[in-house]
Amino acid sequence: MDLEQLRKIAAEVVAREDVNYLIGWKQGTYGYRVAPVFIEDPADASELIFSPLCTANLATYLTLVEKPPLPRGQEPDTRKVALMVKGCDSRAVAQLLVEKGINREGVVIIGCPCPGMVDHSLLAEKYPETEDLAEIKWDGEGFLLLRDGEEVKLDRYEVLAEKCRLCRYPNPLVSDILLGEEVEPWEPEEDSGVTEIEDKDIEGRWAYWEEQFANCVRCYSCRNVCPLCYCEDCILDRLNPDWINRSVNFSENTAFHIARAFHLAGRCSECGECERVCPANIPLGRLNRKLAREVRDKYGFEPGLDPEAEPFQASYKPDDPEDFIL
Amino acid sequence: MSAMLLNKEKWAEFVGKLAGKTIWAPRTDGEELRFLPLENGEVPEFDYNNTRVPPKQAVFPQTETMFRFQLGTEELEQPQLEEEMIVFGIRPCDARAMAIVDNLFKWDVEDPYYLKRREKTTLVGLTCSDPGLNCFCPSLGGGPASTEGLDLLMTDLGDSYLMEALTEKGETLVAETKDLLDKAGTDAQKNKDTLVKEAEKKINRSIDTAGIPEGLPGLWDHLLWRNVSASCLGCGTCTYLCPTCHCFDIQDETEGFEARRCRMWDSCMFAEYTMHASGHNPRATRQERTRNRINHKYSYYVDKFDTIACVGCGRCINLCPVNIDIVDILKQVKEAL
Amino acid sequence: MSDNFNPNIVAFLCNWCSYAGADLAGTSRVQYPANVQIIRVMCSGRVNPLYVMNALQQGADGVLVSGCHPGDCHYMEGNYYARRRLGMLKDLMEFIGVDPRRFNMSWVSASEGHKWKEVVEKSVEDAREAGPFEGFRRRQIDW
Repeated sequence: MDLEQLRKIAAEVVAREDVNYLIGWKQGTYGYRVAPVFIEDPADASELIFSPLCTANLATYLTLVEKPPLPRGQEPDTRKVALMVKGCDSRAVAQLLVEKGINREGVVIIGCPCPGMVDHSLLAEKYPETEDLAEIKWDGEGFLLLRDGEEVKLDRYEVLAEKCRLCRYPNPLVSDILLGEEVEPWEPEEDSGVTEIEDKDIEGRWAYWEEQFANCVRCYSCRNVCPLCYCEDCILDRLNPDWINRSVNFSENTAFHIARAFHLAGRCSECGECERVCPANIPLGRLNRKLAREVRDKYGFEPGLDPEAEPFQASYKPDDPEDFIL
Repeated sequence: MSAMLLNKEKWAEFVGKLAGKTIWAPRTDGEELRFLPLENGEVPEFDYNNTRVPPKQAVFPQTETMFRFQLGTEELEQPQLEEEMIVFGIRPCDARAMAIVDNLFKWDVEDPYYLKRREKTTLVGLTCSDPGLNCFCPSLGGGPASTEGLDLLMTDLGDSYLMEALTEKGETLVAETKDLLDKAGTDAQKNKDTLVKEAEKKINRSIDTAGIPEGLPGLWDHLLWRNVSASCLGCGTCTYLCPTCHCFDIQDETEGFEARRCRMWDSCMFAEYTMHASGHNPRATRQERTRNRINHKYSYYVDKFDTIACVGCGRCINLCPVNIDIVDILKQVKEAL
Repeated sequence: MSDNFNPNIVAFLCNWCSYAGADLAGTSRVQYPANVQIIRVMCSGRVNPLYVMNALQQGADGVLVSGCHPGDCHYMEGNYYARRRLGMLKDLMEFIGVDPRRFNMSWVSASEGHKWKEVVEKSVEDAREAGPFEGFRRRQIDW
């Protein structure tokens, strides 16, 4: 998609009277980093980019924004929020609409069809980051890395993010404005992360996850970055009742992750952010994708495709599978 | 203080002489490099930039039991904390961070747990030869061979390590292993100085902190806080991976008829950090919490202890999921002043 | 597996059907293993996965959730939701490496005292085969 076009449309949207600000991506402070940006002034729209490094799911900011008590006499700002979304991000937005977590009239969704994102760490392994800002563009099927005056062609599957290999919906499913042409969906790969674990026996699986959860520092990055974890008072934080102790050990960490994955069953948009942000490199995507696949296979349901659908865990069919029931 | 050389081939023997003490050193655990107890015969990996999680865990564990008790008894079982520990390969920035944090734990209440562990721990640092992309320690009074907080400084000179004892604990370590060590000549010093100069040249980020500690409180209502915190997720990554961050929460936990009081890391970036029992939260938004974090590190800590509570290790920059960059924030602060 | 191992099963029974069914088993003097600890909830749909996780953390070797038959829920739909949610929980726990024999779900109506006996016997046998639960059980942490 044309960057000039993107910036022009974004500036127009921000200039609208009924729009408060626009959430998009801008270049980060070094190397391959890309940071979310909040644009209130149409002139700042020139900072916006859309490149293969824009992996961040911006839908999380729709529900992250706090609403502290206002000074007396001040009215809350009810203007809309404009949001740039890729295919996976739009699924999160659609799911939020299903759950009535956001108001459809409260958002202006700018859809960006996505040919695939680059995995930051895979890229940095092959081409170590320097303090110079690098640019990456889509180049046919692959990517082009521009840095220090050099151009390097990258093969698609060298650096493509795992979630993009498995992607089934590269085009935004809900949008008010669509930027550029829709991309041709590609054949998703088999989810080797999940099947690798399914191939282990019970002891092997627990040995694997025990090690992973022992590394967890309970920073809550996964929960905070998830667009669908937006309870103001997360049950996993609460001390009254104290379901999960605050102390950090593999027992509490396991309970935390299972409870969180369960709460996302049938809601997770498979955007892969939880895995990307984890400072301990725990493959959380596998947990959530496993459940997402079970929901697809057993119930024929995929969250985030239809803003009018019924939520998975708050609905039922009389003939739901019950082969596990004694 | 003495300067000795340890031939790398004698490393295993060297460690063998220190039996009876727990030794922590950087090792690869799965795919990650972390500070872990060194088992017999294991060789630490010193060829690294820095670990993701700082070794503050050695003196300030993530979860620490303060005492245990049982239903029906009146006795509290206290931890012994007699374990002697040596941490090898800690970077000068992380050691400096411990020295900075010491100030707080010795302040109005002397924290017995932290101080006991600190007393029993010997820190053996490793001079940086290859600083990371986001290191900026010289801006804050540190450097690749800074000695603050360390008991002994090792420098990798190719086929041997230069060991410079800096404190009594360091001298004790040297004394215990002196038959394996050779006297270091002026050549060794020269090599080290060259190494340090090379390393300093590689550090490309810097910030001029003049005026920041005094000026920050005046920027309370500035718009820059809204801008830098808008993308913050309120996760605890920057605080948990920061070597100078030291906030903790205390909770009681029960298991059947036994219970313990333990303390665990807390983060000022969490929403409920300042949540009152009434439900009121003076720092309800991420803007206020971000502002508080920067003010605490760069202003309030200076008021109390005359030192900025940041050592420039760059971990928060490397690992913030949304690229909130403290060097960038400080640049904006400087401009606003 | 030693023969002396007596598993602890925690059972969450819905007030209207399963709890009454278990009570009927009692008054009919039906003999069934005593390894089960019953917690009464108003409806199987009320069972939160955290209950199951917490039970395992605190020392249970197996967990059983039992409710009214589909179509007979006192609150019309609670057991339907339970069926969906707890089915997902079972898949997730199996994926983590918790033996699937440790978590069972059943429909027991208020008149099915004998079925309750069978359900308990099956749960206890499953848990006995699976052995004492170690997994993510809370242990007294070292200093």
